[in-house]
Amino acid sequence: MSDSFAGTYYDGLIGRAHAATLRRVGSAHYTLAGDGVERSGSIASLRVTPRLGRIARTIEFGDGARLLLAHDAPIDAWFPRAGRVEALVDRLERHAYAIAIAVFVCATALMVGAFWGVPKAADAVAFRIPPEAERSLGDEVLDQLDRFGLRETTLDEDRRAALAARFDALAGGNAHPYRLEFRSAPGVGANAFAIPGGTVVVTDQLVAALDDDREFDAVVAHEIGHQRRRHAIRQTLRGSAVAIVAAFFAGDVSSAGAIVVAVPTFLLTSHYSREFEDEADHYAFELLSAHEESPHWFAEAMRRLEAAHPAHRRGFSSYVSTHPDTMQRIEEADEAATAFASAHPELCPNGVCPGEEADEDDDSDCEDCDDGDEAAAAPPARLDCAKDEKE
Amino acid sequence: MDDLTAVEATSPPPPPAWQTVPQHVGPARTEHRFEFTGDAREYFRIWVVNLALGIVTLGIFSAWAKVRSERYFHGNTRVAGDPFEYLAKPWPILKGRLIAVALFAVYILAAQLSWKLQVGTALLIAVATPWLIVRGCAFRARYSAWRGINFRFEPNYGRAYVVYLLLGIPVVLSLGLMYPYVKAIQKKFFVEHHRYGGVPFAFRATAGQFYPPYLIAWGVTVAIVFALSFMLGMLAVLVAGTSGDAPPEWFMYAYLVPFYGSYFAVWAFLAAALANLAWNHTDLGPHGFRSTLKGKTLLWIYVGNTVAILVSAGFMIPWAKIRLARYRAENLVLLAAGELDDFRAESRADVDATAAEMDGLFDIDIGL
Repeated sequence: MSDSFAGTYYDGLIGRAHAATLRRVGSAHYTLAGDGVERSGSIASLRVTPRLGRIARTIEFGDGARLLLAHDAPIDAWFPRAGRVEALVDRLERHAYAIAIAVFVCATALMVGAFWGVPKAADAVAFRIPPEAERSLGDEVLDQLDRFGLRETTLDEDRRAALAARFDALAGGNAHPYRLEFRSAPGVGANAFAIPGGTVVVTDQLVAALDDDREFDAVVAHEIGHQRRRHAIRQTLRGSAVAIVAAFFAGDVSSAGAIVVAVPTFLLTSHYSREFEDEADHYAFELLSAHEESPHWFAEAMRRLEAAHPAHRRGFSSYVSTHPDTMQRIEEADEAATAFASAHPELCPNGVCPGEEADEDDDSDCEDCDDGDEAAAAPPARLDCAKDEKE
Repeated sequence: MDDLTAVEATSPPPPPAWQTVPQHVGPARTEHRFEFTGDAREYFRIWVVNLALGIVTLGIFSAWAKVRSERYFHGNTRVAGDPFEYLAKPWPILKGRLIAVALFAVYILAAQLSWKLQVGTALLIAVATPWLIVRGCAFRARYSAWRGINFRFEPNYGRAYVVYLLLGIPVVLSLGLMYPYVKAIQKKFFVEHHRYGGVPFAFRATAGQFYPPYLIAWGVTVAIVFALSFMLGMLAVLVAGTSGDAPPEWFMYAYLVPFYGSYFAVWAFLAAALANLAWNHTDLGPHGFRSTLKGKTLLWIYVGNTVAILVSAGFMIPWAKIRLARYRAENLVLLAAGELDDFRAESRADVDATAAEMDGLFDIDIGL
């Protein structure tokens, strides 16, 4: 055990450095002596700062005076009971295996947190919030949309009533909590939104773009899926959670902070959003099947909407798109349709079941019958038929 | 204000203040350059171990991690041969963090339920902001020391409300034209309420000196937006003009990427100019400072840091922090007029950690 340490002493009253040496006297006392300094006392009255990197260790004398020692001064033997937690942390920080484990823990936490923890935690909160609580927010959202961009529908009343009846049938009869709204949206085009609180907005342009009412069923089934699975609030909560965590990480990276936080937040929320689209698609397949309609109509609706959005071509944006690749969605719908066909042989061919004949049949019925081919040749990057509206 | 005019009267005609020229007043001063002795590898070990412990303890350890990190940066920053010290204890920081997280959760939930509730919460936070800034400064200053003497921030809440809240009104009414003026007032408040031991800091920059950097930054931003819009408009006509189709989607990126890029660049130059302006007009008793940050270098550091952090999924954060701290320290000089040994301490006052933590979470900039 070393019992004398040379360091720099400050009396805490004047900012003047004194070279001084701290010595141990007996087992419980010290003396400090140096240029113009002289003091002594019990070791129990001293405090020492934990070791950290190569910064100075500081002995605090209790009256504001301090002695700065070299980082590797073996002073800890004087204070066997002090700062054991931080002494352990310091040892870990100098240990290669501990570093490796720490890197592993952080990387794992990052992955698990992003793809499991955040969604799980946010969903747990989201499902505790009553849907009514979202309603006023949803009304405000619709209000905003009406003010900027959406116009009154031009569909005639009979047509609306017919579509509303189909919507009600899918949503679960008379008592369901959802509401269907029609709007004209020349700017947005063929589209449908699920608004927080249970409202589904369908544009006139969507109704015009679809060829068969069963395609309409497929689109609103997807939107009902968004509503029933509470996607709007879940997405908002997940996004907020990611933003908070990212802000904690980048909090003191200062300055570059905004971009450093924004990019991963954006990528991750896009990932969640794709997950929700996928979930809504599968919900739609099940809902259609339960109403004895083939998911084939979902694929059909996708193809029509794709043709209605000619400006969107595959490009950079498909990698960051909030919607899964359209071709993939159509493929999945076709698969679901095949499963439906084998489960319901009695409905075919009346229900226009999938399979080669159905597709051929469909092609021959269609006047500009190039939509299927075009979709295969140059599939567009995204399809906005089911965009969530949150803000 | 009297000594300010006196100083200017004896000085030669001042060069543009936003340039990095120090003001020499009085006799020759001894230059003490700030040093930074932190090391990216060493700090990486500390950072990653503390982060992992924070994760394993569900955030509880983060207060200890914060103290270790602050101690590392303070302890590795030296001037005139002596290191700074960070003296805060983890417990008050942990308490502050818990309160801050609770408040933030309320804010998020409020946003979900109704925008009125959210606006209400936001207003509440706005009203609390000056108080938070004062408490945050006070905490940070109180627990920073050099040569055994603590810094201190004199809490003047009334003035803080005028400077950080009420002066927002003329900024809005003047469509932002008053912004540099208000920034100058805020900086003056921030600097002049700090003291080292018994000696208060003084701030000599005038509001007028804050205008040139902002005007240049605004002018350059407007010019860039104009040029970009013009070039992309031309390009759009070339690409899509004949077909009449909507422009392809990459157009949005062709606009946004250079726009944000140049915004980032302008911002880095502005940050360097403002930091130089503030330090070069800050005095501590008879001593002064000289800051020589370069916009170009700062931008290079920011770009490198951002890319490194994104590419490494965050594992280069320690490297980025060390790099920035080193550049900042190495471009700051203490201009000592005579002896540095004569600083005296004054009596102490305890400050709650809550505000310092809230500032960190809500990202309120209180840095000099």
